[in-house]
Amino acid sequence: MVHISDGILAPWLWVSGWVITAAILTYTLNKMKIDDVPKLSVITAAVFVASLIHFQAGPTSVHLVLCGFAGVTLGILAYPCIFIALVMQAFLFLHGGVTTIGINTVNMGVPALISFFIFKAGMKLNIGISKKEILFGAIAGGIAVALAVLLLAVELLVTGEELTEVTTVVVLAHIPVILVEAIFTGVIVGFFATVKPEMLSIKKRL
Amino acid sequence: MISEIDTYAGLSSPIHRWDPRLKVISILALIFSIMLLYDLKLVIASMLFAIILVYISRIPFSFIAGRLKWVFLFVLPFLIILPFTVIGEGVVIAHFGSITLNFRGIESVEFAVMIVIKALTSVMLIFPMIGTSRMDITIKALEDLHLPNKLVQMLAFTYRYIFVLSNEFMLMERSLTSRGFKRGSNLYTITTLSKAIATLFVMSYEQAERVFYAMRSKGYSGKVTTMHEFTLRPQDWLCTVVVCGFAIFIQVAVWYGTLEGT
Repeated sequence: MVHISDGILAPWLWVSGWVITAAILTYTLNKMKIDDVPKLSVITAAVFVASLIHFQAGPTSVHLVLCGFAGVTLGILAYPCIFIALVMQAFLFLHGGVTTIGINTVNMGVPALISFFIFKAGMKLNIGISKKEILFGAIAGGIAVALAVLLLAVELLVTGEELTEVTTVVVLAHIPVILVEAIFTGVIVGFFATVKPEMLSIKKRL
Repeated sequence: MISEIDTYAGLSSPIHRWDPRLKVISILALIFSIMLLYDLKLVIASMLFAIILVYISRIPFSFIAGRLKWVFLFVLPFLIILPFTVIGEGVVIAHFGSITLNFRGIESVEFAVMIVIKALTSVMLIFPMIGTSRMDITIKALEDLHLPNKLVQMLAFTYRYIFVLSNEFMLMERSLTSRGFKRGSNLYTITTLSKAIATLFVMSYEQAERVFYAMRSKGYSGKVTTMHEFTLRPQDWLCTVVVCGFAIFIQVAVWYGTLEGT
């Protein structure tokens, strides 16, 4: 639910969202080889499917955002993957908006990139516990969602004072998501570290 | 779990016969033009135009209504919260203990209604845009429009894999349930589902590797090849002129409106 529908944000916001997304996309697509396409697509599809799964968290039902997870597994290539996932959601499954794809990619893609750097930096630290992946996976996953919600909240507030209450509701609704997502990313990254370490971005580029 | 958007691509209508390249561009232009509007009358006019397009395309309204329902649920909070929240002055309607219900005036209602109509219109327009050609034809059209090849390829692959993987996940869920797993709000549910999803990722990653080698050995080079060739006919241009014309018309109308207003 971090994605915004059409028609809510001020036009200059979603237009600048497109500009930022176009710039980062151009850079990351240059880093990507055509051979990467099939593998990246499968992971994008898997992220998409996983984001349709709902967890019961207290009174509300939350669904995963997975931007932190995408960052940890795909590195900077998470950005085009999130873009594609959002295009899919907007055009084929009609969640989120069309004009807001740019700004939504910024909202989730930039936290994904940040979580990748957090994870990479964390794995270099020597803190003397055996399962560093779980710890830093959880931190990266939690921070990514928190950042995504923060970006969304700022955009809503900048759009208009009348959206203050909506923003509060949105932020409160996402607190359980941050927790669930942190646990989820920690578990899944720990699982990869034992079962298939090459799926983590830091072990090998896809 | 997920129904495909191009379920009704086999029908025949002027929109179905419209060249996919021009169709995608024109309707996208229209969506962007509507999102720039902040005038309730013009927004309603655009919604009527969208309904006419859907009607011409002969896609059943029941199919669209099923999707619109979810979009409506998403924007509903705006409709409920916006007109009644307290900022600045407002008319007090009722007190519930310490909570005061304020009515902020007809402008707020109009603003909220406009947000909802815009969101619904943009979703409605996606049906004539994507739902009237087969997905592989639309993807070929995107390539013809010179979108970055890597993005087009990723779109094509991801679209196919989403259905494969969601089926696989449903199987996995069924086997979890048959072993007595129940979803609840506890740590156990989260970790179990996380591990199920992790397995899904590992499986799909390995499958992708196999599929990629198989495609490579059959000569995959990263280009879309279909037997479909695009040809532009006068009717294609007529549709384009009508849809793009409306997109430009609403912008001109806004411009005149501001001129008269000042």
